[in-house]
Amino acid sequence: MKSNVPITRLGKFFGDRDFELEIGMGQEWLIGDMNYTCVLYRIDRNKIKTDDVYGEVVEDGIKFLPPVEFNAYITIAAPSNKMVGSTRMDQVEPGNITMSVYLKTLNDLNIDINFGDYVGYYDSENFVRYYSVVNDGRVVSDIKHTYKGYKPFYRTIIAAPVGPNEFRGL
Amino acid sequence: MALPKRGPVKPTIPLEYPKTLLPRREEIKDMITKDGTYLPKSLLHADLDRGFLDFVKEKIQFTSEGKKIPVVDILITTQNWSQFVETWDFQNIDKNLEPPFLTIIRNPDVKLNDKRRYNIPNNRMYYYMEVPTWDGNRKGANIYKIPQPIPVDIKYTVALVCNRMREVNKMNQTIMNLFASYEAYQVINGHYIPIVNESFTDESVMDLESRKYYINKYEFTLHGFLIDEEQFEVYPALNRTIQMFEVDSRPVKRPQKKQQPPELESITFTYENGLTTLERSFFYTCDLLFQNTVNVSSFSVYINNQYVGDDVDLIQINNGDELKIDIIMGSTGQVPQVIFTQKLI
Repeated sequence: MKSNVPITRLGKFFGDRDFELEIGMGQEWLIGDMNYTCVLYRIDRNKIKTDDVYGEVVEDGIKFLPPVEFNAYITIAAPSNKMVGSTRMDQVEPGNITMSVYLKTLNDLNIDINFGDYVGYYDSENFVRYYSVVNDGRVVSDIKHTYKGYKPFYRTIIAAPVGPNEFRGL
Repeated sequence: MALPKRGPVKPTIPLEYPKTLLPRREEIKDMITKDGTYLPKSLLHADLDRGFLDFVKEKIQFTSEGKKIPVVDILITTQNWSQFVETWDFQNIDKNLEPPFLTIIRNPDVKLNDKRRYNIPNNRMYYYMEVPTWDGNRKGANIYKIPQPIPVDIKYTVALVCNRMREVNKMNQTIMNLFASYEAYQVINGHYIPIVNESFTDESVMDLESRKYYINKYEFTLHGFLIDEEQFEVYPALNRTIQMFEVDSRPVKRPQKKQQPPELESITFTYENGLTTLERSFFYTCDLLFQNTVNVSSFSVYINNQYVGDDVDLIQINNGDELKIDIIMGSTGQVPQVIFTQKLI
């Protein structure tokens, strides 16, 4: 049975109601003003079709739960111009996407973001780029992810771009 | 377990044995000169590169998920636009190559094969073939000469970029099958060219926070050779022969013959009329071996008036020596004689 222990630190000048107020104001800014939107495709690990030996997905074998739209603070790294290994084939590799999402947002939507889930982010009206979560930011004990040391309030999720041969949102 | 594929195990039965030894060599020679002149076809760098590209497309390229893995049909170039030209059909929206794909890299350095080390210098021309000709009046022939092909080694890298282990396995299986007997062959311009798989390198990108994919690199060495048809020589052979004799009419001056020593078996010094001393000149070199005396009690030998000895058994005579023999006669009343046997040296 889970026990709930009230957080009493910073209690002289900060409390749960202040925390909720700050988060509420932050969400108002992020969702109301900024409104960066991503689409989360959570992998259905029970129905996905994989190879028996390597566990790699077969062609178009990825099965995912109903997509969920969520708001997060988005940073996309600059693309890097490099060769594919040492094959002398040039390519401009898109940068990773970093999503900072309120824990409250995830709770309200009743979703969790796991390692390997796919995220779609619309670059323009008719082009969506898909990313695979490479760091789900589950550990939020560090001081940066807490509100002035009071309680964790957001997760930083990093995802790397994937090609259409891996995931196409279909 | 996979079942054997349907169909006859051996669809055709060969009615003739395949050719071996000299007939097979003649068959290969015919293959080299097929569809052309009597001369072999040129084989230069670009031909070898093209041949290797065809080798990859014909023998290494494989199918995954029902699709043929595309091969980037370029080797190495400094011109950036060519990559797009060769890869436009399997690029994604970012114009990046979408795995899986195969790419071929040719190392720019082309080196002489070690076989060249034990060769005749100066790259001389060699007789290749004599082709009969007919000019309407006379039968003749043309001699075809070619330089010795220059053995070269060219290194290629075939890289598979993919993101499934199944494709890695398939590629590896294909390579292992091909090179199970160490070498694989590609016919380039009618020439059999051996290719050797040298090594395998894995450069897979497995960084935690980036796109992950496998890069498997297979190194190959193509043991080719260079023949440039610009260096071939064709020239007419002899078709009429005239034999001429020339005699020198000048008198032949031969050196004077050396005086040959007389082939005497023995030399006899005969002391007639009461003589007790005799001299004789020699113009050859010999040894005088004492044999006998007649009515001589003793004799003394001088060479060039130098005393040698009394009653000697052996006298060594040089060319030009003066031999003098003095005797003391005996008492028998016969004509005194000293007899030697001469031995030419």
